[in-house]
Amino acid sequence: MTAPVREGFDIPCHEIGPKSSYPAAAFVAGLHGDEINGVFILSRLADFLNSVEAGKYPELRLLKRVLIIPAVNVLGVNLRTRTWPFDKTDINRMFPGSTTSETTQRIAYAVLEATKRAEYRIDVHTASTDFEEIPQVRLYGPTADEHESARLFGFQAVMERTFSPVFTTTMMCSWKVWPGQSFVLRVGQAGTVQLEHCQRVFRALVSFLGRVGILEGVQIAVEDEEVCFFDKPSAFRVIAEKAGTFVSDRQVGRWVSVGQELGYIYDSFGGNVIEKVVSPVAGLLTGIRRHPLLFEGDLILRVNRKS
Amino acid sequence: MKSETFFTVEMPYRERMEIRRTVYRGGDGPRVAVVAGIHGDELEGLYVCHLLAAWLEELQRNSPSALIGSIELYPAVNTLGLDTLTRGVPVFDTDLNRAFPGSPVGPLPSRLAAALMSALSGSALVVDVHASNIYLREIPQVRINQEFDDTLVPLAQGMNLDLIWLHGAATVLETTLAHSLNSCGTRCLVVEMGVGMRITPEYCDQLVAGLLAVWQEMGVLSPDTLIPAKSHTPLIADDSNVHYLNAQTSGMFIPTASHWTDVRRGELLGRIVSPFRGDILSEVRSPVDGILFTLREYPLVYEGSLMARVMARKGEKQ
Repeated sequence: MTAPVREGFDIPCHEIGPKSSYPAAAFVAGLHGDEINGVFILSRLADFLNSVEAGKYPELRLLKRVLIIPAVNVLGVNLRTRTWPFDKTDINRMFPGSTTSETTQRIAYAVLEATKRAEYRIDVHTASTDFEEIPQVRLYGPTADEHESARLFGFQAVMERTFSPVFTTTMMCSWKVWPGQSFVLRVGQAGTVQLEHCQRVFRALVSFLGRVGILEGVQIAVEDEEVCFFDKPSAFRVIAEKAGTFVSDRQVGRWVSVGQELGYIYDSFGGNVIEKVVSPVAGLLTGIRRHPLLFEGDLILRVNRKS
Repeated sequence: MKSETFFTVEMPYRERMEIRRTVYRGGDGPRVAVVAGIHGDELEGLYVCHLLAAWLEELQRNSPSALIGSIELYPAVNTLGLDTLTRGVPVFDTDLNRAFPGSPVGPLPSRLAAALMSALSGSALVVDVHASNIYLREIPQVRINQEFDDTLVPLAQGMNLDLIWLHGAATVLETTLAHSLNSCGTRCLVVEMGVGMRITPEYCDQLVAGLLAVWQEMGVLSPDTLIPAKSHTPLIADDSNVHYLNAQTSGMFIPTASHWTDVRRGELLGRIVSPFRGDILSEVRSPVDGILFTLREYPLVYEGSLMARVMARKGEKQ
């Protein structure tokens, strides 16, 4: 596309593997320009698969075509903004898009056209810059096949959600109109690269490609942790009853016990402890606040109880 | 007149956010409300609230019995956004008008939405005033989801505006204040007029006259109250007669036609030019005979940016 006062721009992608009319797997990240974990993971995956194609891993063979778009919101990545920088619209609220409407709708249309016929479609996101999520698969109104395939990533947590009206213009919702399987991955927090999460998700994507028969020769490690499916009622949220400064050194992905201390809220002016934050139930710490400044009523953390 | 806080929340460092309304209580007649400032870059509705407040305060001084019902003004719902030139809710980076009906527990925008729903619920009529955005200028209009047109169009007809735009149901719009209120039986009209970050006094005067007329019709104001005369009759638009003009290329859009004027099919509405070169990149022409009711205010355009909307007059052959 053209731009008003700079050079034209494009949305680059990697097309790797045997030629075919459409990809077997499509990976997309960076619909939001500040979600860098996804951009990093997919660029690393592209490098790895290109190396496989170049013969650097003789035991591996890419049997089907893979499409990778590390960043859709290219200008947003460069300018560190979540939304499309010109008009501040959210590209992931512009699907299915159109060839004749607003810029972000044209971008959405092009991304959907490139990905919608893939057998497996994976959209990588993070939480906001304020909150850290355990690497997880998010299923929205899944089919039986999607429910089963979600295990193949090998994550600790699979979160099952229903569609709300606000999601109807997302890429995931547009994908689900088409045959095939669609997954959202949520990984860590926005605005940074969390290396441990990224490495874990990179391994998960390679394992997934091996398990679904796209990448031949992958040695699948035996998982040392089971995959837990969590529906909405399994989530126990701790809400800030008072405003202040929240501090915690706890890591997501750890099992916690009921009443276990997980952090403290301090008076931002006086410096005194206002509240000790404890786990409401025994379960998996699946998300925790990372921005310290709390408004009254903000979400501090989430623990999911195993059913 | 009474100023009330309908939502308050403690902020991280020694301040509270308080969202206020102004209430004029008369007799036991119908209760109506005006909401503005849901988007922090839209100021037209704030001035409408000021004009209404000034008119009502004078009424209370000179003719206190004329107010039969109650009138509530919510001029600055997204208080922090308005205070900081931010369209969404600051910190939460959320469009408040995509957070309804909200929830008493959840992110701050969702709690604020729930508090506003609760405050407005049961009103005989709510008018939610928007001001387009910073990019487009709009003629004063009411936008109505066709799901609710039976009850809302007759009210909108009396609002002294220039246009009623009936639009199809979009699922994502179910998260707006208007849809949420209409779905639970509280009638709500959405007014769009002017442009973001600016005030158009004549549009505000026009809407005030319409609001007072509708309220008088509803029995909020006594029949003998002197109100400003109405001077506008709306045209009707829907998805069949509204034509969108999106930019074919990127550059600077320079309009050649005036807003809210009749245009002919093929008439030049503007040009897209480059600041680097002297030639014209694209000409923008009307696809139909009609009225230019949306015109771009912010000159820079990307491919696809909306520059204008033209409404073909209903029943006229194209």
